[in-house]
Amino acid sequence: MKGHILPGLVMLAIFLLPIIVPSPYIIGVMCFIAIYGALALGKAVLMENSGIFSVAHPAWFGIGAYVTAIATIRGVPPLVSIGVAALCVACLAYIMGAPLLRLKEYYLANATFCLLIIMEIGIGNMGSLTGGHEGLMGIPPLTIGPIKFEGDRDFYFLSWGLCIGSLWFFHNLMTTRAGRALRTFMYSEVASKSMGINVSQYKLRIFVITSVMASLTGSILAFWLRFIEPAMFGIPLMIELLTMVIVGGGGILYGPILGAFTIMWLREVIQAYLARLLPVMTAEVDAVFFGIIVILTLIFMPGGIAGWVEQLMHAGRRVGERLTRP
Amino acid sequence: MSASPDHNILLKVDNLGKRFGGIHALADVAFELEKGSINSLIGPNGAGKTTFINVVTGIHAADSGEIVFQAENISGLPAHVIASKGIGRTFQLEELFAGLSVMENTLVGCHTQSSSGMLACGLSLPWARKEEKRLREIAMESLTFVGLEKRANDPISKLPLGERKLVGVARALSMNPTLLMLDEPVGGLAAHEAKKLVDLIYMLVGKGLTIFIVEHNMPFVMSLSEKVIVLDEGTKIAEGPPEQVRANQEVIRAYLGDEV
Amino acid sequence: MDLLSQILQYAISGITAGSIYGVIGICWSVVYLMTSVLNFTTGEFVMLGGMLTWGFHAAGLGLFPASVIAVAATICISAVMERTTIRSVRYPSARTYMMLTIALGAVIKGSVLLKFGSETRKIDPIFGADVLHISGATLTPQVICVVGLLVIVTLGLSWFLNYTLFGKALRASAFNSTGARLVGIDVSKFRLFCFGLAGGLGAVTGIITAPITFTGYEIGLLTGLKGLVVAIVGNWTIPGTVAAALVLGLLEGFGAGFISPGLKDVFALTVMIIVLIVGTYRLPLWKRGT
Repeated sequence: MKGHILPGLVMLAIFLLPIIVPSPYIIGVMCFIAIYGALALGKAVLMENSGIFSVAHPAWFGIGAYVTAIATIRGVPPLVSIGVAALCVACLAYIMGAPLLRLKEYYLANATFCLLIIMEIGIGNMGSLTGGHEGLMGIPPLTIGPIKFEGDRDFYFLSWGLCIGSLWFFHNLMTTRAGRALRTFMYSEVASKSMGINVSQYKLRIFVITSVMASLTGSILAFWLRFIEPAMFGIPLMIELLTMVIVGGGGILYGPILGAFTIMWLREVIQAYLARLLPVMTAEVDAVFFGIIVILTLIFMPGGIAGWVEQLMHAGRRVGERLTRP
Repeated sequence: MSASPDHNILLKVDNLGKRFGGIHALADVAFELEKGSINSLIGPNGAGKTTFINVVTGIHAADSGEIVFQAENISGLPAHVIASKGIGRTFQLEELFAGLSVMENTLVGCHTQSSSGMLACGLSLPWARKEEKRLREIAMESLTFVGLEKRANDPISKLPLGERKLVGVARALSMNPTLLMLDEPVGGLAAHEAKKLVDLIYMLVGKGLTIFIVEHNMPFVMSLSEKVIVLDEGTKIAEGPPEQVRANQEVIRAYLGDEV
Repeated sequence: MDLLSQILQYAISGITAGSIYGVIGICWSVVYLMTSVLNFTTGEFVMLGGMLTWGFHAAGLGLFPASVIAVAATICISAVMERTTIRSVRYPSARTYMMLTIALGAVIKGSVLLKFGSETRKIDPIFGADVLHISGATLTPQVICVVGLLVIVTLGLSWFLNYTLFGKALRASAFNSTGARLVGIDVSKFRLFCFGLAGGLGAVTGIITAPITFTGYEIGLLTGLKGLVVAIVGNWTIPGTVAAALVLGLLEGFGAGFISPGLKDVFALTVMIIVLIVGTYRLPLWKRGT
């Protein structure tokens, strides 16, 4: 039971944070951390666990957000729009996944990279439906029955609920039969098949599951910000997610969330202090800093922060649910 | 040819052929395996022995011929389906899952013994949890059988070669196979480790398994097998009890010819 | 414009684009075959060529000296990159290199943005602005330069790799680095050479195309990606890459002309993805995921 104390404390801290520290700024940043963390977690499950090098995550995130937004604007009840969005994404992922997942490693990364670009251009060009490059405004608030979710605090609990829920889901998955099957893909697909695992079916399933999670996250984003634009879902996001996975450590389940936490607060700190020195502070510019951080992490701390933490805490303990490679 | 009505035949291979580009890895290979027997496949390097296992287990699709297992035609079925029908195998190069522990590797072998899917597992549904417990028991049984129960939580990297090979066996055993195909099981093993494997094989036959071994190690093969099949450059050149094969002129030529 | 001149015009712009992608694709192949690294900074080399030339030129240097220094600088950057970061990776794997070079690319891109701002820049054409007319289509000398570059690079590299001792040693090390080391070839110098070569070629491409397509801090990404796509489709061989590049370029040219300029990337990339996927069904050369 010792292993459950620390996660329990962390969850308690997360739960109590908005009550102890009612600063809207901090709560807002933590919301982003939950959202990006959940996305990065999905990406890590695909990349580090199942050997699926898809970088299409931002696409599912974006499509989920857009479909939810467009549907709600047109009067569909919010809960239904969330469901519709998830369904759309699931179908798309299923249809595209079957042929795409046949590609190996970087071929897949390449193809999904192209897909991202196509999606971004597509959304930008469908102005009448999506508001084009300027974005989509006036998304109605999230109301489920009599409950209305508004303001950062409500979405703090919602987004962290989703984030922790995803973590719980994947933890269960990876320690049982279905998830174990996934974990074999990085080592020997031949052996995997010989043990009775239908590799392509499993890959497709996890692909669809993570895409639906990304869609749900996108729906939450849409209802929180009440405004979305294509630039939120493109290549900078993809690189950011990659950064979070690497820095946080993709080998351990909570690594990406830790990575999201680190990266987002680091960015806040850097922007607070360096914004005075450098006039141009766009996504590309802080790419310089984070590019350097990624490079340093890859060279000196290949397991990421979580990997390092695990090494400290668990030297000699059972391998158990660890997902790292030796 | 139709499936054999003889209930004693576990596996029947007929006119099996496999080409890789211009190379005939297997050509017109045909024989039968009796239930509960220990059989070996030998031959010089490159004779097609591993290819044979790969074709039977569905990793490669045969170009011609028929594979009948337990009176069912399994030619052309995908590997994971064949695995669920009761054919387990080990690999020449182990093919263990390096990042998983010994127990987890063995647990993967139990995959076909359960059917809990991703959602059930992820949501930790009660019946999925029960299944998981049951699988762990099966895996522990396999590990105990090969004598590795104390190493269950060790990472694979910590184990020496002999024990890693045993993990491969435990993993295959967890599949509850009727036919167990071992690809070069004693390669690189010390004498006492090979002896242990021999004991394990006899115990498995006692439990009703049929064993099929691909090997280079002659003493091992000859002492253990009831039937030996010899492959040379993809074709079968001999089949029969060890003494008969040992005296076969073609076999001698195939082996000595290689060393010239 | 009547149909014939339209077709000709789109074909010309297509072949131009194709030539660019071809050289960039070769940059990817050279590095990948030799070092197994998928170098995502390849696109940024192209960007650096154009931007650094503009920068030095704007600082007062003549166009030609500025280009030379730009190419040299890019080669240095590439070499330094290889020596310091790529060599220091403790557990080399395709994934790690991929992420590393993506990060490096982001660093380069951001640095250029910081230094030079976000506007697109233009360099004057080398041979002036005279325009040739062929059946109603226009052809500038710069375009001929670009195509010429592809031809020179293709022929030159092929000759180098197949007929010179150094080139053959290079191919040998790519094939079997242990064996190469055993016969005394210094494999690490070769890796450095390949990175430097990719840097130089990329920069030259960037300089030659800048007068046509302008240059700015963000062009590296898409151009580099297309170079990767054609290298993969061309199965990492020189003739294959060139063929794939020309096909992609023509697809883009005709797509932009006859369908819609805004969607030309979508169209071309979609076709490429389809080609990649179809390839897994037929060609055993391309590795399959299952």
